[in-house]
Amino acid sequence: MSLVAHRVTLQVGPRTLVDTLDLVLEPGEVLGILGPNGAGKSTLISMLAGLAVPACGQIMLDNQPLAALLPLTRAQHIGVLPQGDEGGFFGSVADFVALGHYPFGVTALDLTPLFAAWELADLAHRPLDSLSGGERQRARLAQLAAQQPRIALLDEPLTHLDPAHQARLLAWARNEADAGHSVVLTLHDPNWAAGHCDHLLFLYGDGRWQLGTPAALLTPVSLEALYGAGTAALWRKSDRAQPV
Amino acid sequence: MSSAAKLLLLGLTALLALALGLMAGALPADHELAMQILTELRGPRVAAAFACGGLLALAGALMQTLFRNPLAEPYLLGVSGGAGLLALLGMAAGLAWPWVSMLAFAGSLLALALAAALGGRLLARDHTPLLLAGVMLAAGFGALIALVLSVAPIERLPGMLFFLMGDLAWTSNPFMLWAALLLAVGAALGLSRRLDVLQLSPLKAASLGVTVAPTRWMLFTLAGACTALVVAQAGSIGFVGLMVPHALRKTGFAGHRVLLPACVLAGGSLLVLADALARTVIAPRELPVGVLTALLGVPMMLWLLRKP
Repeated sequence: MSLVAHRVTLQVGPRTLVDTLDLVLEPGEVLGILGPNGAGKSTLISMLAGLAVPACGQIMLDNQPLAALLPLTRAQHIGVLPQGDEGGFFGSVADFVALGHYPFGVTALDLTPLFAAWELADLAHRPLDSLSGGERQRARLAQLAAQQPRIALLDEPLTHLDPAHQARLLAWARNEADAGHSVVLTLHDPNWAAGHCDHLLFLYGDGRWQLGTPAALLTPVSLEALYGAGTAALWRKSDRAQPV
Repeated sequence: MSSAAKLLLLGLTALLALALGLMAGALPADHELAMQILTELRGPRVAAAFACGGLLALAGALMQTLFRNPLAEPYLLGVSGGAGLLALLGMAAGLAWPWVSMLAFAGSLLALALAAALGGRLLARDHTPLLLAGVMLAAGFGALIALVLSVAPIERLPGMLFFLMGDLAWTSNPFMLWAALLLAVGAALGLSRRLDVLQLSPLKAASLGVTVAPTRWMLFTLAGACTALVVAQAGSIGFVGLMVPHALRKTGFAGHRVLLPACVLAGGSLLVLADALARTVIAPRELPVGVLTALLGVPMMLWLLRKP
């Protein structure tokens, strides 16, 4: 299943964030989106998910306009992990995770493997609001996994996760890709992007964008062009004594 | 305890409340007269109390889901204010009850229509404008109600106050209320899985295939209709719609498929008991039932809030 953005333009008010973007997301691909705050990463995720309409251009899912799909059909193929937290009333963590299976009707889904994969087994019967930020993020990821999307769009999924669970998330993304699914992540860490993405999309926030492999894009020069002068030093290997 | 067991327990509580409601109050020694009082006066009133309580608690739960906020309640959008204003104007003009009731119903619908027109544009993404419009309208209606009260003929004030606090002495049509209750519960249960998903952020709910704006409008309409019907029959009975859904959520009724029927059973029971007290504590005079729902509800709620 492939998702294609054809000459898509993103506008917020009078500002053009992304100008005539052409993007093909192939099965088995992990795409990382990088860019400064406010560059349109989350807006692009919404568009690719079919939840917002671009100012110009079209998003196609297997040669069908995404906008023409029924919401439930679309939800059976494309899953989103938005930013932010859920404020509603939920019962247990298990109830919360099971909501991800909603697009498939009342058919039962065995949640045990999901709890194991995201280390939620001990928390499954706790109320959702008793969890820590990182634990909640894991519950949200498990909820996305319960949707079994062939195209998963994750907006800053590393938020709140400790390094072990960040590694687990990126391993999950690779597993999904190996199973023929596609994964899109917005990230702020070039090191993670270098190690775990097949392709990168840079959004500059002024209409310009750049698509390429991590090796081609992750140079000090292009990172400073993206984030501003002096930022490349953040990721330079230091010669100074390590803190440990 | 499983949810089925919890619902069964609430069902038994409801039966007990109905029985208590029928027994509360004096009956004459004459058997025939006693039966007549039970079937023609007390029975219909107890039935109406149950239906009103159920409708209010259901509307409260739906409003809390719509606004994703535990403080939401049936009167949040100015329904009671709109109803109160028109009903009081009717009373001040000396109209009889069925007319006052119709005016109250019209006032509720007017308040809802105003809230929707002023704040409903962005409902697919953001419910705050609707919430603010409703709260503003409620405040405006409150001021106008105070104005009517301050200039109304003094001998009509008690009736007006009873309407504003809610009173079941006027309810004349328990069958209509029960039909509305059953219809509303059926409609709400049909939406229940969608409502569970709607607890997530609008974006996440949409990504799971829920059409957020139409579902929110359905909630608004359903909750509004339930509330308007009750207010037109019994005035603005407070607290049931706020407390019952909140208390049930606190005690582990999470999914809407269980929560909504539980609200109906618990809300109905609470109002039947409150009305039984309202009729009997200072008999032969009656208290407005709204005073009793708050007097029963506030300590219960505060006690529940103590639990972590």
